[in-house]
Amino acid sequence: MSLDRSPSPLRSGGWSSPGLTSPYEEANGTRSPGKRAAYGELNGSAQPGVTWGSARAKSARVNGYQQNGANGFIGRHYRKMSESLPSYFAHGGQEDRYGEKEKLGRGRTGWSGGGSSGGGGFLRWLGEIPRRLGLLLSRRRRGVAVFFLLVMVALLWFQKPLTAMWNHSALLGGGSKFVIILAANQGGGVMEWKGPREWAIERDSVKNKKKYAERWGYELDIVDMSTKKRYAHEWRESWEKVDVIRRAMVRYPHAEWFWWLDLNTFVMEPSYSLQQHIFNDLTTNTYRDINAYNPLHIQHPPNGTSGDPNAPKYANYLDPETLSPVGDGKPESVNLIIPQDCGGFNLGSFFVRRSAWTDRLLDIWWDPVFYEQKHMEWEHKEQDALEYIYTNQPWIRPHVAFIPQRKVNAFPNGACGDDRKVPEGGCSTLRLDQMEGKDHECGVQGIHYQESERDFVVNMAGCEWGRDCWGEMYNFRQLSNRLNRSRWERFKDWWSDEEAKKAKAKEEERKKDEEKAKV
Amino acid sequence: MHFAFPPRKSSYSHPYAARSSRSPFLRRTRLPQYLGLFALGAFCLYFLFLRSPAPTKPPPGTPGAVVVTVIDPDLSKSYIEAIKDNRKDYAARHGYVTFFPNTTDYALGDSPKSWSTIPALRHAMTLYPHTSYFFYLTSTALIMNPSLSLHSHIMAPTRLESLTLTDIPVVPPDSVIKTFSHLRGDRIDFVMTQDQEGLAGGSLILRSGEWAKYFLDAWFDPLYRSYNFQKAEAHALEHIVQWHGTILAKLALVPQRILNSYTRDQSGRTDGIYVEGDFVANFHGCQRDENRNCEEEMQPLLSRWREIRDRERH
Repeated sequence: MSLDRSPSPLRSGGWSSPGLTSPYEEANGTRSPGKRAAYGELNGSAQPGVTWGSARAKSARVNGYQQNGANGFIGRHYRKMSESLPSYFAHGGQEDRYGEKEKLGRGRTGWSGGGSSGGGGFLRWLGEIPRRLGLLLSRRRRGVAVFFLLVMVALLWFQKPLTAMWNHSALLGGGSKFVIILAANQGGGVMEWKGPREWAIERDSVKNKKKYAERWGYELDIVDMSTKKRYAHEWRESWEKVDVIRRAMVRYPHAEWFWWLDLNTFVMEPSYSLQQHIFNDLTTNTYRDINAYNPLHIQHPPNGTSGDPNAPKYANYLDPETLSPVGDGKPESVNLIIPQDCGGFNLGSFFVRRSAWTDRLLDIWWDPVFYEQKHMEWEHKEQDALEYIYTNQPWIRPHVAFIPQRKVNAFPNGACGDDRKVPEGGCSTLRLDQMEGKDHECGVQGIHYQESERDFVVNMAGCEWGRDCWGEMYNFRQLSNRLNRSRWERFKDWWSDEEAKKAKAKEEERKKDEEKAKV
Repeated sequence: MHFAFPPRKSSYSHPYAARSSRSPFLRRTRLPQYLGLFALGAFCLYFLFLRSPAPTKPPPGTPGAVVVTVIDPDLSKSYIEAIKDNRKDYAARHGYVTFFPNTTDYALGDSPKSWSTIPALRHAMTLYPHTSYFFYLTSTALIMNPSLSLHSHIMAPTRLESLTLTDIPVVPPDSVIKTFSHLRGDRIDFVMTQDQEGLAGGSLILRSGEWAKYFLDAWFDPLYRSYNFQKAEAHALEHIVQWHGTILAKLALVPQRILNSYTRDQSGRTDGIYVEGDFVANFHGCQRDENRNCEEEMQPLLSRWREIRDRERH
């Protein structure tokens, strides 16, 4: 529009400026007739013989303004609404005109500089805001205002996107520092066809991790592990863990920790964040000295002679840090966190950190000479290879930490022996010297999932050999849902339980009565 | 008493009336400003000095390099003395130290004695944890130009960048794995040469650090030792360099005469043959070949070296 203010109806009806576009037309006097006609058409005026009514209708068609004003609820009440608004909201034409007339600003504190002239007036208006807010609060409505403010904050906070953004951001929640690598479709493809159960397992597992990652703002990288003839040297089949981790490191260049998860795992407690569960306090949540729990009987610290008592004088040529059972003892030097089950390292759920050390580990992990000599023996592939290089290459040890299995990789009952249960009242009731041992599931030797301890992740390792993966996953899913019910759901369940009890009691009473009556 | 009008006030307002109330306000607000400025300054200082800590200086008395030679105790005494003297003289000139372990000092099991090179280097790193260069020289070689220091002759980053042979097959003549074409001198941790057959492990320089530990431990892996590589640790080295990028990325190959001139070359190649003035003369193969005798072969160059040493001493 060429006008310096929008055309608006007068209070008494009709237009404030009938010659809507005439200044424009004059200004464009040099235009070609054709164009001019088009503009005239557009703006709805200036053609000979045009009545006020038709011009107004055309203008309305273009502006879409009067149309609203003419009909509909909003239209009918618009004027009332705008009048009742505080003056700084209704800075349409009328207020401007008042402003122009009242150059001296008598009696109009907020807007006296003339709203349309911008700059100083606007600043003054900004300056007014605290006073107006104060007024709003100082009146009797203060309580109400505070209440609404709180409600607004709560609403905003519990909106998913906002919490997700907070959790994800590197500075606040730190979620983008973590990547969950979920290995889907393991062994699929060439090796076997997937049935409905396998699909269901995959769907459930993926959904579970998706929800968890979303909640805490972690990245989720679902990788297809189906066996493909991808390499020139095909014997490397299904040794892809290393490549997958490397690829994830490229894909998420700002992430720090990468959490590998097998498909047969289930996050039982989505309310635990990785930071609070593990990474905020690596020193107490992990152990560096493998002698604390050493199912493989790896000699630690390494001494270069594999335990030969008649070793020559320079047998132990390694540096003190490598010989220390705990490396340098600082949590910053931990680059790999693995759980151990009853048979040694378990790579169903483990963490690696991006570092030069990790690059080296991923590089040396697979080697054709190792593979050629050992591939028949190493039936757990990468897992056995890692155990091997951990044992035989001393540079690895100072940067590896172990984590009690139940913290990230609890087994269901039956895997690795039977559940030994936790003592009455939980592991926290044990004295420190009773903590370790084989007669219960506490400490670093704990293996099996404990419902009462609310373990974080369960890994149905080995369920594909003779056990029912889908059944196990179903049961754990149900259990997780039940354990993590919301209060409202708990209340509903309690209510329906009570109702059921009452109904049962009634039924029994009725039966008794009937029997009595019979007798 | 009541007056009809309030007492008369001056019609002039004080022009700076507001001042009295504003100045303490201003003074009050200065404090946060100063605090803010101080915080900003501290932040900048933190970034300037603490974020990039000066490289930790080694404690005084740390040798600049360690010359490592692993000695086979079966060799003749005079020979052992001669090569020890050769290295000790070189080390004394530049503030380096020497380290002469025996091949039998490390538990090698059934693997060939030559594998002891690797634990010897690892051992030297343990003994001198703050030293940055470890120079391994085989017992069949002599340092013939003792005036050259390791740093200025090879390891200074710009010097190293100009020496490095880039984009050549790691194992000549036709390995598909080639050395990196862009390497920064200060990121190179491992310098060695090639001879006609492959990587020449007789003379190499290693920069200490986490990478060096990784490299040595990986190289010394029992599965490589048991694999029966034809030339033991030399072939194991060629293997890991070609299969593991994290090792190749730290390796610089330099022209053979910079670090490892041979006194003779069976293949007839001449660009690696020792010329007077070269850093090292290596009697390559004299121990392996039964028709050769290292001590005898070494005599002329040994006396030449003694001449050089005595001339420069007086």
